[in-house]
Amino acid sequence: MPAKPTTGILSILKTAVVNALIALVLFSLMVGIRTEAGSDGQLTYWMRFGELASLVAVVFGGSIVIELLRQWIGPSGTEKLVPPAVQSGMAFVGRFLAPALLIFALLVPVIFYNQRYILDLAILVLTYVMLGWGLNVVVGLAGLLDLGYVAFYAVGAYSYALLATNFDWSFWICLPLAGILAALWGVMLGFPVLRLRGDYLAIVTLAFGEIIRLVIINWQELTGGPNGVPGIPRPTLFGIPLDNSDDGLAARLGIEYSPTHRIVFLFYLILALALLTNWVTIRLRRLPIGRAWEALREDEVACRALGINTTTTKLTAFATGAMFGGLAGAFFATRQGFISPESFTFQESALVLAIVVLGGMGSQLGVALAALTMIGGFELFRGLETYRMLVFGMAMVLIMIWRPRGLIGHRAPTVYLTKAKAISSDLVKEGHG
Amino acid sequence: MTSPLLAIRSLRAAYGKIEALKGVDVEINAGEIVALIGANGAGKSTLMMTIFGKPRARAGQILYEGRDITDVPTHAIAHLRIAQSPEGRRIFPRMSVAENLQMGADATGCTEAERDATLERVFTLFPRLKERYAQRGGTLSGGEQQMLAIGRALMSRPRLLLLDEPSLGLAPLIARQIFDAIRTLNRQDGLTVLIVEQNANHALKLAHRGYVMVNGLITLAGTGAELLQRAEIRAAYLEGGRHG
Repeated sequence: MPAKPTTGILSILKTAVVNALIALVLFSLMVGIRTEAGSDGQLTYWMRFGELASLVAVVFGGSIVIELLRQWIGPSGTEKLVPPAVQSGMAFVGRFLAPALLIFALLVPVIFYNQRYILDLAILVLTYVMLGWGLNVVVGLAGLLDLGYVAFYAVGAYSYALLATNFDWSFWICLPLAGILAALWGVMLGFPVLRLRGDYLAIVTLAFGEIIRLVIINWQELTGGPNGVPGIPRPTLFGIPLDNSDDGLAARLGIEYSPTHRIVFLFYLILALALLTNWVTIRLRRLPIGRAWEALREDEVACRALGINTTTTKLTAFATGAMFGGLAGAFFATRQGFISPESFTFQESALVLAIVVLGGMGSQLGVALAALTMIGGFELFRGLETYRMLVFGMAMVLIMIWRPRGLIGHRAPTVYLTKAKAISSDLVKEGHG
Repeated sequence: MTSPLLAIRSLRAAYGKIEALKGVDVEINAGEIVALIGANGAGKSTLMMTIFGKPRARAGQILYEGRDITDVPTHAIAHLRIAQSPEGRRIFPRMSVAENLQMGADATGCTEAERDATLERVFTLFPRLKERYAQRGGTLSGGEQQMLAIGRALMSRPRLLLLDEPSLGLAPLIARQIFDAIRTLNRQDGLTVLIVEQNANHALKLAHRGYVMVNGLITLAGTGAELLQRAEIRAAYLEGGRHG
């Protein structure tokens, strides 16, 4: 880095030494001393100097590497150092990334037909893509920090599960109902939090998520409590079951039955639901209501002065986001065949929120990429066993250092001048402003 | 004489226990530019915001075209063709200039043709905005942001425009351009303007009439030229605040 050539090495070393000292203090107790219950129940402990030293060394070396990378690449101004050729190449990739991903997604069941594991993983990723896109309406567009999004996922899942098991209603009737019920709960959450923003809003939504979960656990007669709801019907292809029976799809088409049929069907179902979410969001963004959401994120006072009813704007954002969460929940229930409160913990909310933030708040493609990275990453690092979360956390920290606005921080405008307005150039050059 | 476009009668407003407006009377006739001047904390911005219902008036009346709008919700006031360029501009920083302007038109429900005509007008007044229409609002300079804030307010095709400190933090040349644009709007489009300013000299030269506000009360009123001549105004607001 030409800016500070002399102080560079020294400051890097200083940072590294400080970090190493902090690591020494932290790890001396956490790692340096190993305690265990002895044979008679007494406390035995011994020192582990080797492990401690290696950890401190790793922190020291790591600090130097990170500082060097920081000075060479820079935290956020990366683009300036990238040569124009690479930049135009990236723009090219950027333009065709979304269609390419879509085509790839459509072909996944064809390519990986015999790999059940990959198909299951793809369904999981798509579920989170849909949840991410749903939460993106609330957090990314309207700027309302919602830590209880899993509540709507749960409402949707339980709506479908209970309606289907108690009344024998088909999936295709229950699916919109689950969406509507979740949207209603979204409005119910919205009302008390209308006046809250930022941290306060986050706390209340967090509590809301927990309340829903606790109600589900304790309302045994309705929800089965911690035992969950078993035997949720599988979805049918508009009345045709996808099983081994005589009137199943395989028998009707005269092909040999395979359990993969259902998996492929589920895959296309969630893909369709996710794409619906995406399409609706993109359409809404270009309508006044979508613009009002974004304006609300930017400046609430200005919104009111411009005649936007902030109450209805917030409630529609909550309702829309919740509806998509509910639809995803109904899908989750029919896919699993069994749901219990354990599936709807705060961790799910945090994961979906992380996907939205990592993707770049408001960016549809970014959210999809982030869901792929997060959920795919979980699986990718499975071989690392106990270090999985550590590696994963480090990867997230690194991404946030280099791309603080998320993977795709760019925001596409939604208003264009309809036609080239004829304003003579001399007027422009006159120097007004 | 016809009844005023906006009439404010013994208006009181408070933040908690602190009373900011202690019975204010202001009248604005259609086609006028009215300046409201006063020191920091006199209640000028509060008056502006109370017209928009935030904070709510504790007592008194706000009559617009003869109709009592004191209790109309904030967002509904913009639909009465009153527009506001709030203090500190408050443009939407991550949205493009075109989107910011569109936001001004969205809530009032105009036709596309009306919107395009208004847009054309805004671009004629502030050609800079046309040059920068695809740029994010936050990347504009202070003067451009002020132009955008006024342009956004104009997009709702108002009869009455409330401007809160449009020259705040702007270079004198830019401030003059803003004031010129306001004068043009008033003369050519017949727009009625209430302008709150600390820059008393500029504001009073621009305005037909002016009010001076001190500690939540109107202490002086008169034509712009009259007020500019008064010794106490000159002392308090025009000559660096030296009294006596």
